[in-house]
Amino acid sequence: MSNKLTASLLTAAMSAGLMISLNSSAALAQQATLVVSNFAIAQDLMRKDLYAPFEAKCNCKIVVDAGNAADRLAKLEARKGNPEADIAVLADFTALEAARKDLIEPIDTSKLSNFNKLYDFAKDPIGKNYGVGYTFYATSIIYRKDKIDVTSWADLWSPKLKNRLALPNITTTQAPLLLFMVEQALNGKTPDFAASIDKIGSIKGDVVTFYERAAQLTQLFQQDEIYATVTGRYNWPLITKLNMPIAWATPKEGLTGGLNVLTVVKGSKNKELAYALINEWLSTDAQTRIANDLVDSPANREVKLAPEIADQLSYGEDVAKSLKVIPPEQVLANRDAWIAGWNAKIAR
Amino acid sequence: MFADRRIGLMLMMPAMFFVGIAFLLPVLILLAEGLRTSEGWSLARYTSFFSDSLSQEVMLRTLRLGFGVTLASAIIGYGVALTIANASPLTRSRMTALFILPLMISPVARTYAWIVLLGRTGLINKVLIGIGLTEEPLRLLFSETAVFIGLLQLFLPLMVLSLTSALENLPSDIIPAARILGANWLTIFFRLILPLTREGLIIGGTLVFTGAVTAYITPAVLGGSKVLMLETLLYQRISVANDVATASVIAAILIGMSIVTHSLIRRLTSGKRSS
Repeated sequence: MSNKLTASLLTAAMSAGLMISLNSSAALAQQATLVVSNFAIAQDLMRKDLYAPFEAKCNCKIVVDAGNAADRLAKLEARKGNPEADIAVLADFTALEAARKDLIEPIDTSKLSNFNKLYDFAKDPIGKNYGVGYTFYATSIIYRKDKIDVTSWADLWSPKLKNRLALPNITTTQAPLLLFMVEQALNGKTPDFAASIDKIGSIKGDVVTFYERAAQLTQLFQQDEIYATVTGRYNWPLITKLNMPIAWATPKEGLTGGLNVLTVVKGSKNKELAYALINEWLSTDAQTRIANDLVDSPANREVKLAPEIADQLSYGEDVAKSLKVIPPEQVLANRDAWIAGWNAKIAR
Repeated sequence: MFADRRIGLMLMMPAMFFVGIAFLLPVLILLAEGLRTSEGWSLARYTSFFSDSLSQEVMLRTLRLGFGVTLASAIIGYGVALTIANASPLTRSRMTALFILPLMISPVARTYAWIVLLGRTGLINKVLIGIGLTEEPLRLLFSETAVFIGLLQLFLPLMVLSLTSALENLPSDIIPAARILGANWLTIFFRLILPLTREGLIIGGTLVFTGAVTAYITPAVLGGSKVLMLETLLYQRISVANDVATASVIAAILIGMSIVTHSLIRRLTSGKRSS
């Protein structure tokens, strides 16, 4: 009798335990976790504008793995085949590198209802639909308009900027863009930027510093260390806050810039959710919210922005079309040569 | 102390275990990383590092700044330490406190303060223009001079503290005795003070040199990418190029530099004593 009782009690306890574990695993299955590998910048605003609204709809949890591109690419490589991340947010050329290393997979754009709202240049920037562009930025010279006038990339070596110029270091994404435009100003034609590396090397003594973090620039302007620098439009809001007579140049050779893309990590276990978030990311609503917080310029052509917001960003098809962008293939094929050339002629 | 040496060994075990796991093993792995290539073990990474003109320049600059800061802090440090050691006990403790105080302020804050001071609109340029030494503000930031000043201010207190404690142990009557016997101050310094405070100089010198060549914030903020030192180059290799192998070569060189310098200072000061 007592044995029977014990046995039935045990069975009851066990089935209860089983039920509990079943329930909790069901709850876990409902609460899927989507991991987004993203740049660290403005993630609090991204949560407000994109992740939180999406979480409310999808009953899932978004975890952001934030870091610089090199770190995150290394992580993707280390977890190849069994990735932790589902979506990787990358610069176009980093995405091409990831595609060549077989770390990301082509996106079936027919599953993205917002895909056709994108500017054409954002639809398939690296080929084979490996990534969709979600934002772009222009890069130009910014300068103290009370001290000099900048109308060409060749003004960077004007005597007026001697000892008053900061340029991006080769460790930043801006340095190749600088070399690209200097090459145009010099009528150089080689993809390894030999002419522009020589030119920058010849004025390196007159360059105050080769900056690595854009936050440094505000301080350099504030302390009168520099009258001009080369930077992305995404730093413009920071610069305008200084209330100094600083202007954004429109050099005759044109502006340059870059494009960032969303990619799906190969072997992602939450592919459906990943597509849903990418679609949300490209939606007019989310892109408008993100733009209004000055986080990213929209790649969705239906986004309408107030003039004072648009002025702070890289906005509109005209701007996008006027940008001269380095083809991602050229970046990958020549990056080592640029770094070697830079280290031999400029860093020394 | 212990009748049975095994008790002593057993008492040492936890510390040795910790040092072995948390320090020696990682250092060995780090050193091995620099010697391992895809074709097996070789010195290839070291030879390519040493033959690269940028790394040569960075290494020379690191040595130059390291020795410069150590020498300058020894010269200034002896002056300060002699004053402190000869002061009354109350003044002595007050002056020591003044020198320790900067050590309690974050190096980041201290380094940023130099940006404000050394900038074109900063105090130093204002003074230079005010007294007519220069008409145009000088470009002081992002230069070796700026890094030198920053490092010296950062590590001088360590030298002063080591030298003060060494000087306090000096018998108080040897300097008057030497004076009576006709020695001038130079002789007194080189024949008496230097040999007798040599332990303090070795400790202070090693601390200052090691600190200066391994400092990151100061060369990064005051030197920037134009004045790379080994430490900032190491960071660049890791965080930008993801090049762990070269970074481990640099780390090994930094360890080697500190050990060699320590024994060099030891030898130099002991040489003075025998002469």
